[in-house]
Amino acid sequence: MTTDPHSETPAAPVLLVRAIEKSFPGVRALSGVSFDAARGEVHALLGENGAGKSTLIKIVSGVFPPDRGEVLVDGRQVDLARPDDARRAGIATIYQELLLFPELTVAENIFMGHVPRAALGRIDWRAMHEKTNALLASLEIHDLRADRVVGSLSVGNRQRVEILRALSQDARILIMDEPTAALTEYDVTRLFDIVRKLKARGVAVIYISHRLDEIFEIADRVTVLRDGAHVATKRVADTDAADLVQLMVGRRIESLFPKITVPIGQPVLEVKDLERRPLTKNVSLTVCAGEIVGLSGLVGSGRSELAQTIFGVTPADNGEIRIAGQKVDIRSPAQARSLGVAYVPEDRGTQGLVRPMTVRENFSLAALGKVAFGGFIDRGAERKLAGDGVKRFAVKTSSLEQIAGKLSGGNQQKIVLGKWLANGPKLLILDEPTRGIDVGAKAEIHRLMGELAAQGLAILMISSELPEVLGMSDRVLVMREGRIVAEFSREEVTQESIGAAMMGSRENAEKAA
Amino acid sequence: MSAMSEIPLPHPAKRVVPWWLLRHETMLAVILLIALVVLGGLNSRFLTLDNLLNQGRLTTEVGLIALPMTFIIITGGIDLSVGSIVGFCAILLGYSWKVFGFPLPLAICFTLLAGAAAGFLNGIVITRVKVPPLIMTIATLALYRGLAEGISQARSVRGYPEWFYFIGQENLFGVPAQLWLLLIAIVVAAIVLDRTTFGRSLYAIGNNETAARFSGLPVDRVKLIIYTLSGFMAGLSACVLVSRVTTTRSDMGMGYELDVIAAVVLGGTSIFGGVGTIWGTVVGLAMIQLLKNGLALTGVKGDATIVVIGTVLILSTLVASSLQRRREGV
Ligand SMILES: Nc1ncnc2c1ncn2[C@@H]1O[C@H](COP(=O)(O)OP(=O)(O)OP(=O)(O)O)[C@@H](O)[C@H]1O
Ligand SMILES: [Mg+2]
Repeated sequence: MTTDPHSETPAAPVLLVRAIEKSFPGVRALSGVSFDAARGEVHALLGENGAGKSTLIKIVSGVFPPDRGEVLVDGRQVDLARPDDARRAGIATIYQELLLFPELTVAENIFMGHVPRAALGRIDWRAMHEKTNALLASLEIHDLRADRVVGSLSVGNRQRVEILRALSQDARILIMDEPTAALTEYDVTRLFDIVRKLKARGVAVIYISHRLDEIFEIADRVTVLRDGAHVATKRVADTDAADLVQLMVGRRIESLFPKITVPIGQPVLEVKDLERRPLTKNVSLTVCAGEIVGLSGLVGSGRSELAQTIFGVTPADNGEIRIAGQKVDIRSPAQARSLGVAYVPEDRGTQGLVRPMTVRENFSLAALGKVAFGGFIDRGAERKLAGDGVKRFAVKTSSLEQIAGKLSGGNQQKIVLGKWLANGPKLLILDEPTRGIDVGAKAEIHRLMGELAAQGLAILMISSELPEVLGMSDRVLVMREGRIVAEFSREEVTQESIGAAMMGSRENAEKAA
Repeated sequence: MSAMSEIPLPHPAKRVVPWWLLRHETMLAVILLIALVVLGGLNSRFLTLDNLLNQGRLTTEVGLIALPMTFIIITGGIDLSVGSIVGFCAILLGYSWKVFGFPLPLAICFTLLAGAAAGFLNGIVITRVKVPPLIMTIATLALYRGLAEGISQARSVRGYPEWFYFIGQENLFGVPAQLWLLLIAIVVAAIVLDRTTFGRSLYAIGNNETAARFSGLPVDRVKLIIYTLSGFMAGLSACVLVSRVTTTRSDMGMGYELDVIAAVVLGGTSIFGGVGTIWGTVVGLAMIQLLKNGLALTGVKGDATIVVIGTVLILSTLVASSLQRRREGV
């Protein structure tokens, strides 16, 4: 099953990783993985959640040392004790969690740590801005200004800043860990343009993603990891999606979006003329028991803001919300929860998970009432609740007492999802529920959503992944600039119709001009 | 085999050293024991039951405040106004008894209420107006002390009825009366922190306030409660203090905030929030009090004592951060 990766190398590898082993307390993250990347090649890294992808690239970028094995750059062995060593060896990494400074400008972020200096060690601001502009021009990015504050940028643009940061350090090896997880299709296209340009310049790109179609679009070769072991390295041209899934999961996965039609019940959520300036304007919508309503739109169209207004994080200024027919005035998440509303937020790092706490504590956090009696936590009940969640979502963790922040990205996402279902809600609002989740687990979560709907749960699903929206939704709503601009039934909805509604204003504006 | 079909069995991760030995509290207790033995060897009066109980008596006033302070620091907050609340409450006790002519039990209740109200004011501004706790409580540190001085006009109150001195000066079953108060408070605080949903919320808030809010925890209510509690305990501490020293002055409790915070931080509670235990605070308290006493008995002067305590604080912080790194396995 294992093919020799070197026999297929198109050119001399800039990066060669040999027989890497790495263990954490209780887990063997990597057992003898070898990997290489050549100049001008995009090499994809594929595997289930917790397979060891991020661990491998963290070793290559000097975050932590391997227990055994070696890393060679240009045929020479390098000692990567610190991230700085990797940077000097020409390796730049864009991590799963973006690490920019939101209060600083684009230029400052790009040159953080290696600012151009003038006489007496002063920062040479002119040179910094000129260099930034040169970088922007070299990638033909015309809509990003060097003096913009990064915190005000969209996720797609922030990512471009990260890439520019890598290039400013003359990186010859660029590693991207799930760069598209938080991007819309439009941003993904633009990212790929950049990747192709880098490729043409001879940069070796290592690319991690759970989206198979992207791998076929952008990658030259693909390496599959499973449970910390190297399974196969193949040329993308010689393989197909089913083959890769088989290699990753070890079995075939039938259908990715198995939403079954179930009888639709009474309205659970009714929203009328909901307003919360500046991002939610006049929104009306209904979600019924047994129904999955997809909420589509560009990033920044106000979908998460709408969800958070319903959930009481940013209470509404105007308008009406009814839960199961009862008019309610939701002022806080605590109140929303007691009304049977659950919200799985989009940003797991800051909103979803308390990363320094254990898996057990995270699972029970939104359902403490369930495992406590008279304010006292019943440890046994809590362990059972968490244990059930771990089983139900197949969370890969060494124990219930593992620190949640140390799990792989996808496994963290599963906990965020699981902790809200522990509460037995009536209405489930999902914000990008399968972001960063591997194909197998994704199918599992989709199956679960279908099952929950069949049991009478009402689900409002925000997703930037059109196939997911099309596959799972009974109805699709499209948001644009804080308003709902289109509604499609399952029968009439197509990728094109959603796309047109999402972009609508821009086209209209162009037509009007 | 895949992650989907394989059900991970929850089993504790293997470690070379047992986890409790690596805990900050354990290390601190070990250091404390060593210090006790050394100081005891240097001075025969130090390691006597009488002396130790008396030190317990002296540490109660700081100890009562250190318990809610542990809660507050675990949420990532701080309360610098506690010393001033002690002064303010001590003055109110004397004033309401002498000038308003309240019967003393009523004056005590009034004092406790006033302490709670002072804490509540801190809490309400911190949660509603979103003023950082450090700034708010620095402001009220000045405000409450100013009120105490304004009301007292530099006059002290003396001559409380005899029964009132019981709590501060007598023994109950051979143990200083106020120490019972502290012991009960310690047990209650430890249970609340370790076993209840309230305690869990404190850790969640300290580790990630946004996620705590998104999980439906009543973040603002919890914060309001702990700052109010802090004021209330400072009021209680004021009553104990007045009973022990038999007089009321407006500079009472001056500098308590430093002793309290030092004990809490020494006990392993992270000033960044999210980490800490009551047991740690108790060991921290004992450490500071016994160091002070042991050094004094050995003839070390006051200034030098402060230097030693400062050094111990720095050392313990170093130990704590190296432990932290070890736990994270980096
Ligand atoms: N610092 C750490 N401490 C303990 N265990 C860790 C640590 N980092 C990773 N692990 C474990 O190592 C394994 C591999 O994790 P890794 O992050 O490499 O997975 P991944 O392939 O990137 O998954 P995903 O697709 O979910 O991001 C997981 O079981 C994870 O829990
Ligand atoms: Mg990962």
